Amino acid sequence: MMPARQQIIPYLFLLPALFLLVVFNLMPTIATLFESMFVISLRSGERVFAGFANYNRIFNDPIFWKSFQVTVVFSLLVNPIQIALALGLAVLINQRAPGIGIFRSIYLLPIAVSLNVTAIVWGLMLDQNSGMVNGILLQLGVARQPFLHSVDQALWSIILIASWIGVPLWSLFILAGLQNIPPPVLEAAKIDGANAWQSFTKITLPLLRRVLAFVLVADTVANFLMFAPILLLTSGGPQLSTNLIMYETYRRGFLYGDLGASAAMLSVMLLIVFIIVGIELYALRGRD
Amino acid sequence: MLPRKPMLVTMLLGILLMLLVPASAQDEPTTITWLTLGWPADYIIEEFEARNPDINVEAEQVGFNDLFAQIQVRLGAGSEVPDVISVDVPLVSGYALRNWLLPLDPVFTGDEVEDWLPAAVNAGSYEGTLYAAPVSTSTQLLFYNKGCFDRAGLMPPDADDRLTWEEIAEIAPQLTFDDDGDGTPDVWGFIWEQMVRIYQLQALPESLGGDAIGEDGLTVDGVINSPEWIEAFTYYYNMFNIWNAAPQGEEFWPADIFETGNICMFVGGPWNIGRFANNPDLGVEWGVSRHPYFADGEPATPTGSWHIGVNANTENIDAATRFVHFISTGEGAELWWRRPGGGDFPAQQSVLAMFATEAEFDELPMSYMRTAADEATVNPRPRAVTVGFLEYEQILQNTFQDIRNGADVEESLNLAVQRIDSEMAKYR
Repeated sequence: MMPARQQIIPYLFLLPALFLLVVFNLMPTIATLFESMFVISLRSGERVFAGFANYNRIFNDPIFWKSFQVTVVFSLLVNPIQIALALGLAVLINQRAPGIGIFRSIYLLPIAVSLNVTAIVWGLMLDQNSGMVNGILLQLGVARQPFLHSVDQALWSIILIASWIGVPLWSLFILAGLQNIPPPVLEAAKIDGANAWQSFTKITLPLLRRVLAFVLVADTVANFLMFAPILLLTSGGPQLSTNLIMYETYRRGFLYGDLGASAAMLSVMLLIVFIIVGIELYALRGRD
Repeated sequence: MLPRKPMLVTMLLGILLMLLVPASAQDEPTTITWLTLGWPADYIIEEFEARNPDINVEAEQVGFNDLFAQIQVRLGAGSEVPDVISVDVPLVSGYALRNWLLPLDPVFTGDEVEDWLPAAVNAGSYEGTLYAAPVSTSTQLLFYNKGCFDRAGLMPPDADDRLTWEEIAEIAPQLTFDDDGDGTPDVWGFIWEQMVRIYQLQALPESLGGDAIGEDGLTVDGVINSPEWIEAFTYYYNMFNIWNAAPQGEEFWPADIFETGNICMFVGGPWNIGRFANNPDLGVEWGVSRHPYFADGEPATPTGSWHIGVNANTENIDAATRFVHFISTGEGAELWWRRPGGGDFPAQQSVLAMFATEAEFDELPMSYMRTAADEATVNPRPRAVTVGFLEYEQILQNTFQDIRNGADVEESLNLAVQRIDSEMAKYR
């Protein structure tokens, strides 16, 4: 049994982090839940308690549901794509090959550039009239593509931009996981006659489960909160095809001054993220 | 461990406190912030500061869309800065409803109010109180590049001609040239200057007899998806998507590429007259004619104005109202109108009258300003009066951008109805 004084010490070390967590995460969350129960009178600026009126309003709002739908589709596409590519990339850079050191530095470069700058540069490259991508397509004999201006292509363009940063970032975590796998385990499998695919599916993947669980959860949350490329490139268009819920929340609250509805949307979003993350953690829980 | 020299600590604290307390306000001029667009504001600020040495004006200049967002966020949060804001006039009622603007009636004399165009005073008022002082107003003309007409073997219109939209539809594709044969034109036939803004595009359905908003100032169903709107925006769609006479993609400022000869015609504001007239390097021979209209309808011209208001929460009411008074009346208004590269339409009748009397406007091309002054009187149609103008305008902006880039007209307008309805719900 440790003396009481020593038992306190770990908590003292945790205190600064806990303090920041409370101030920057917990308090805003509670404030949002609180705010979602109020409406602000437009004329007097007075805050009036409204119960679930804001929720009632957004649940009857077709634009909210449309935005919800876009967010779900986006998440269902972007998360598997990013994680599959990140896993592939991590396995690739885990190989010992001549010149791999150079590649390991280059593939990390997108992470070093902020999402905003990346979004703007990709916006220029995907421009319909003067973008580089269309220039290349024209050289290859492919017609100009509208990309961010087309209902069918805009969401995919956003997925591309998000993955440009997301894939190398998450692959970094997976790479760390791969390098944690003790080489003797893989060697033993090889001696037992497992081929590369078998040792990947039977040994590498199960041993990566914890890392993958973290990456999946963190990636899901990051993509649910995707905002900057929408603000900078599409404003939710064309025809609301990229109107992710974070952008709709921003538009309601900060552009149109409807903080109550905005807070209600955020609270719903929070609940959904909570549930999804719970399911993900449950599905990938360690059995060891 | 506590320091052993309490005296030293007290002295240090005292010095720190002195640094924190602001210097006496009486010696320093009062500084006010003016949140506005990127026009040459320094010029008027210098003139104002020379006459009011006790006031410092700092212009915070932002882009078109940013201005609305900044006002919304900062005034909405009850911030005391900016002290003065430039206001796009349809937003006055929304701002006034939320008590963001200081009532300005006591600032101006009866004569000063009478000097403003009555429509501008009305637009700057909400429920009988003036909240934003008129500075400038506007109209639109057709600008064209004579070289393009020569190249296509067509006759350009005269300054007093008024082409129909049907004629524009016929001419524009003939003025579109794909010089390098890559399938994308290098010289485009036509565009609207503010290509996705209701300010400029409202004249299309209105020329066909359509309205901008329902009588209650909130309803858009049956108005912005009416047959007139569908017909008008099908024309707009065709210009970009069927006749391929106007460029799609991101928004841009057409005057920039008109000057390089890559746009042959655009409908734009009279501010371009001064710009082109004062550009010594301009290699384009240009002219203007009246605002187009639909042959079956009547001429309708866009109008709208920039006003200036005071943040209701400002801590510098005196300085802020003095600046607003200066720029919107008398000598200050005239100076603002005469600013280099200006070319606005003043909202003061006394200044407006100078177009007729000043020798500067006797000869081409500056005499086009007189054409514009006259055009401003031809069925000018202000934008919708609604407390939800910000939502209305931004949603329509998205909608027009979608149609421009190939979205179905009826579907897009119906989606706009749905979106605007959903935003207007909070005002009902």
